[in-house]
Amino acid sequence: MVKLNNILYKADDFTLGPVSLELETGGYFAVFGPSGSGKSMLLEIIAGLRTPAAGEIIIDNSDYTLVPARKRPVGMLFQDYALFPNMSVFENIAFPLRISGENEEVIKRDVGLLAEQFSIQTLLKRRINALSGGEKQRVALARALAHQPSVLLLDEPLSALDEELRDDAVKTLGILKKDGQTVIHVTHNRNEVSDLATRCFRMSAGKLAPID
Amino acid sequence: MQTRDNFNITHSIFLLLGGIALLFIFAPLAGMFVSVNAPHLFEAATDKVVGSSIVRTLLISAAATIISALFAIPLAYILARKKFPFKGVVEAIVDLPIVIPHSAAGIAILGLISRDSALGAAASAVGLNLVGSPFAIGLAMSFVSIPFLINSARDGFAAVPVRLEQAAETLGASKFQTFTKISLPLAGRSVVSGLLLMFARGMSEFGAIVIVAYHPMTTPVLIFDRFNSFGLAYARPVAVIFVAVTLILFIGLRIYQKRKW
Repeated sequence: MVKLNNILYKADDFTLGPVSLELETGGYFAVFGPSGSGKSMLLEIIAGLRTPAAGEIIIDNSDYTLVPARKRPVGMLFQDYALFPNMSVFENIAFPLRISGENEEVIKRDVGLLAEQFSIQTLLKRRINALSGGEKQRVALARALAHQPSVLLLDEPLSALDEELRDDAVKTLGILKKDGQTVIHVTHNRNEVSDLATRCFRMSAGKLAPID
Repeated sequence: MQTRDNFNITHSIFLLLGGIALLFIFAPLAGMFVSVNAPHLFEAATDKVVGSSIVRTLLISAAATIISALFAIPLAYILARKKFPFKGVVEAIVDLPIVIPHSAAGIAILGLISRDSALGAAASAVGLNLVGSPFAIGLAMSFVSIPFLINSARDGFAAVPVRLEQAAETLGASKFQTFTKISLPLAGRSVVSGLLLMFARGMSEFGAIVIVAYHPMTTPVLIFDRFNSFGLAYARPVAVIFVAVTLILFIGLRIYQKRKW
């Protein structure tokens, strides 16, 4: 469960919030809105990359408002995927597991399972710059899920893909829904997740409102 | 509209002007090599004083570079990533050693390590004289060359997308893990370039070193000493050997750097 209580964030000339919402476990939540409306900012606040001026962030009944990003049960898929170019696909997915001190056996097993889930078994030895946009998206998803986050944040996950790759990418996101992963998906294109979303919200000038 | 002729004329002029710049660097060095007297060169090559001065110069410069890196790389990262009051002043201070005369740098360092200073007095109390020591040489080398490392590393860190560091944090990495596993490897090429530049600049230093430590002699000081005492014919072979050694060393290091990064 993700609960935001009166989250307020102030940037130079932009104010986000106050935002309050409660998202049940296993739901696929979509946040629509134009560029500059504060969608990505909201995700960064939940991820711990920005600290709100006021309000509370509750995940699985624990207060994470002032907890650093690295200690939050949150995975994030960035718009440009933010894959590490100095590592192979395997090393990218293994990164959070290595950081948490898992042994090599567990790392190999978990990376293998994720690679199978996202059909990237043949890519594991490749360098990041040798991947297509769709492959990068799947690798980034596998990496974001490797440390088994309670909630997965997707920041415009389809915007970097060509039109013909989007259908496949939406199918990949469908895997998350099927697995019961709690997802918050922000996008400027409402059609892109119309089949996936269990609940939708609209963000406009820093204010969030539910859509029926 | 741009024509093929315009394009060629511009590039031909650039090629001519660039060629003159290249010749300006290459000609004096080539001239030094071709005009060196063979018996004098052989004599210098077998002279233990020359050999030990070259080893001393390389070792002290390498040590100065490695020790300075422990302080310079964190500063470079802070300068690349953080905004803070008077950042411009800090950046100007970093560049100071490049713009001040190196003899003045030598005088400043002498003030720091002479027996009148706190550092010099503390060393003197345990029986050490810092003036005229390898420590003084290393200090002078570091002072004049550290801006090259800081600036190169800072540019390297600035080129690493902040997004990658944020991604590492959301995956559980601490700031230090993010630095060692993401930022430093991705800025590696610039950091290594900075290290090589600092090493090179340090070992070629003369002005500051000659003030803080005439003895033991580094090779640039030895070249000056031979020129002053015996003239050009005896200074030139030492210069030729030193330039040849540094050239071979740097070509080797650059090849290694390009293969690794």
